[in-house]
Amino acid sequence: MPELTVEKFYKERKDFFDLTLLNSEEGLKKRILNAEVHRPGLALAGFLDRFPNQRTQVLGETEMTYINQLDPEGLVETCESIFGNNVPLLIIAKGITPPLDFLAIADKFKTAVFSSRLTTSELTNRLSVVLDVIFAPSITVHGTLVDVYGVGLLYTGKSGIGKSEIALDLVERGHRLVADDVIKITRKAPDLIVGTGSELLGHHMEVRGIGIIDVEKLFGIRSIRLQKRIEVEVHLTLWSDDLDVERLGIDEHGTTILGVQIPQVLIPISPGKNITVISEVIAMNHMLKTYGENTATEFSKRLAERIHRQARSKDYLESDYE
Amino acid sequence: MVQKTVKVINRLGMHARPSAMFVNHASRYKSEIFIEKAGLKVNGKSIIGVMTLAAEMGAELILHADGIDEKEALRDLTNLVTSGFGELKNL
Repeated sequence: MPELTVEKFYKERKDFFDLTLLNSEEGLKKRILNAEVHRPGLALAGFLDRFPNQRTQVLGETEMTYINQLDPEGLVETCESIFGNNVPLLIIAKGITPPLDFLAIADKFKTAVFSSRLTTSELTNRLSVVLDVIFAPSITVHGTLVDVYGVGLLYTGKSGIGKSEIALDLVERGHRLVADDVIKITRKAPDLIVGTGSELLGHHMEVRGIGIIDVEKLFGIRSIRLQKRIEVEVHLTLWSDDLDVERLGIDEHGTTILGVQIPQVLIPISPGKNITVISEVIAMNHMLKTYGENTATEFSKRLAERIHRQARSKDYLESDYE
Repeated sequence: MVQKTVKVINRLGMHARPSAMFVNHASRYKSEIFIEKAGLKVNGKSIIGVMTLAAEMGAELILHADGIDEKEALRDLTNLVTSGFGELKNL
């Protein structure tokens, strides 16, 4: 769970949301706990059942017009019910300034009130985009992420199996390294996972026997990229005779990362095996499948047709008594 | 699977050399070794991974070991960290 204080949100995104803090800085200590945005229309009108008080509250022109026509007691009561419910922060769109009592009550409950010059819909859209990215589920995995012909291949497998060496070989052939060893994976949409390296790590990698190298410096800017959608997991394992590896490719094996299902290819490694070329084939085969062409299935269909045809002509020849 | 929380005690933290020492020790064991710091979990046999933690003095690390020699591995690695990677005399 990422930690996002109102202060951090304000400092980092002030310009993007065109924000001005309207009351005391006391409210900046509060924390934003989820990515959702709420316009508390019903809550203003007094209906507080199921009021989603943990969300970022946004007031637009309509809500502000409602607040401004309230009599003084009504205003106090309404504000107390909103701010008394421990909302993390409140943003007023279109640069509208609220009544002074409104800010005084926000101060009483130590809640920050901001004004934004954006329109209400623009503000809520931008809030959703920014907060969704911050609160997107993420994990860190041990592996190597390379962009091969535009397909994001995530190499996994035991330490020392040769993931970094494969990445190096791929880079040498013009493919691009995203990160080695420590990959941060974020789910950016329900079916989309994106991997990045860590800031400290950059595009450094360790090659056994040499030590730490900087891929960007060695191979140039074309050899790297900062993030990539992960499309296929390539799991490397040591060759053993009892290993059950895929021979046809008709049944797709999958793996689930952060709830997103992606195909997984199991590659047994043995000395002298060229994993780089295999990697390129995995990437190209994935592209073919994405464009609707499944070689294994096509071939299996062709084989079935041939068997069927042969059986028919055999029937014909057998029942030919001429 | 065994695990243990240890504290980094050498003044410079887990910079490059201690990280290399840790990885060298970890690689002697068959077990899978992971180190976790503040929710970030990395492979204890990967030098890059261990350095990515940037563990400073006082940082709490959770060592995980899983495999046939997990107990010995955990004992050895715990000793390594709690002995300050042999850097205590330079204080």
